[in-house]
Amino acid sequence: MSKKNQNIDLEALEAGIAKPNRRGFLALVGVGAAGVALAACSSDNATSTTDTTAAAGGAGSSTTTAPKSTGSTAPAGGGGDLEVAALAAGLEVLAVNTYGAALAAATAGSLGAVPPAVAEYVTTAQAHHQAALDAWNGVLTGAGEPAVTKPPADLEATVNAEFAKVTDVGGAAALALMLEEIAAATYQKAIPTLESKAAIELAGSIQVVDAQHVAILLFVSGQYPVPDVFASTEKAAA
Amino acid sequence: MLNEPALKGLIEESQDLHSDAMREVKPALAGLTELRHDAPTEPLDTATIARINDERRSSSHRTGAALAGAGLLSTGIGAALVGLLASPASADEAMDIQILQTATSLELLAVATYAAALELPFIATGNAVVKAFAETTMAQHKEHGEAFAASGKALGGKEQTEPNAKYLAVVEETKPKLVGPADVVTLAATLEEVATDTYLANLSLLTDTDAKALFASVMGVECQHLAVLRAVGALIAGGDAGIALIAIPTDVAALPAAAGSVAFPKPFEEPDLASPPAEGAVK
Repeated sequence: MSKKNQNIDLEALEAGIAKPNRRGFLALVGVGAAGVALAACSSDNATSTTDTTAAAGGAGSSTTTAPKSTGSTAPAGGGGDLEVAALAAGLEVLAVNTYGAALAAATAGSLGAVPPAVAEYVTTAQAHHQAALDAWNGVLTGAGEPAVTKPPADLEATVNAEFAKVTDVGGAAALALMLEEIAAATYQKAIPTLESKAAIELAGSIQVVDAQHVAILLFVSGQYPVPDVFASTEKAAA
Repeated sequence: MLNEPALKGLIEESQDLHSDAMREVKPALAGLTELRHDAPTEPLDTATIARINDERRSSSHRTGAALAGAGLLSTGIGAALVGLLASPASADEAMDIQILQTATSLELLAVATYAAALELPFIATGNAVVKAFAETTMAQHKEHGEAFAASGKALGGKEQTEPNAKYLAVVEETKPKLVGPADVVTLAATLEEVATDTYLANLSLLTDTDAKALFASVMGVECQHLAVLRAVGALIAGGDAGIALIAIPTDVAALPAAAGSVAFPKPFEEPDLASPPAEGAVK
């Protein structure tokens, strides 16, 4: 399947997203506080200090809460689970911001005519990612860690650069598809490494919804919506 | 409108994309056929664990040799299966085996249900995308069932060969009431939600890491089946205009706004339809 779509170089984007290793990525999400195993890796990369193209959305706060066991209690798994929580939160910030940018562009008329279903999807997906971000930050702050409020700097820069090339709904959908595939794969890959029941349940419950976003984005993009016999972790961020 | 050649091409393309994964799974499945034990319904005793370990070591060597010969030992799934066989069994695996047998039972039921649906005239000669989805999804469930069965046997369990009894009764009761595509979609969506929720709940119950990875992978596909069925169900409810939009490619501009949200009603999937671990265990 071609990874070229509209004006977006998806192959370059995918490469840019997939390449950072776990050490680099976790450092980038800015969870380098003392007492967490991640601290040792946090000095070789800077946390993002720039804003994403559009302000983080915060649109459509969810009426459904995260699995209740997550609450504000830290995962019993400790450092490893918290590293995954920070990684996940960074990706969720990126997703929220990117959907926010898409909404802003649509409102400004930069994407041309926006079909009602696409507008509804963007609003819904952004709300889902905001809810996921809130859940992961609840885990982090419950464990005495700072909430993650910025996306990984390199991914943010890459996504912003690609988003700047988007001129229509098809291009925006292609970018959203890539982000959702990465998110779903990242959760899928993380699940076997998680130790606490709460973290596993939360990651699994979000993986499901992100994979469903993928299916609908494939459908509206004119592709078969469930192409995989087994979901792959190939596009996982770390 | 429907572009059948394009749809066929997309499905073939998707099958090509996953040929690598299938090449990893199938030889490994063949290497696991000699492991047969009764599924424990309570913690395994020491003698049984020792017997399973002896057979597992032997099977691990055979499977490793077979995979190495096929050049697959270094691949993800091949290595995972050999690792699964080489690792010693423990009492904790009793529940893992039951979970895998229950998952197999759900997959067998899904295959049987889609097969029955495809015999219904309004599916067999109805919307081509719906028919193609049923055919493709049935094949995917078959692969899932084989993978779960192989993993269960690798852990020392007996293969589940029967569809889930609880939901089989539901399907049999519902069959006479399937008078149109909407009825089939509703039934299929229910089964997909049961599978998704069951596998989601299992993620935190399983002790075997490879089994967890398998469940996370399959869950990621079943939930997509569910999403598609929810969307298709909503379009069918929209009458002829909606049914016309069940096409690949579809007319995105003509889709109702609800098409952008109906497939995922909640930000977090809740496993409220999950089957308990022993529901489909071999008795």
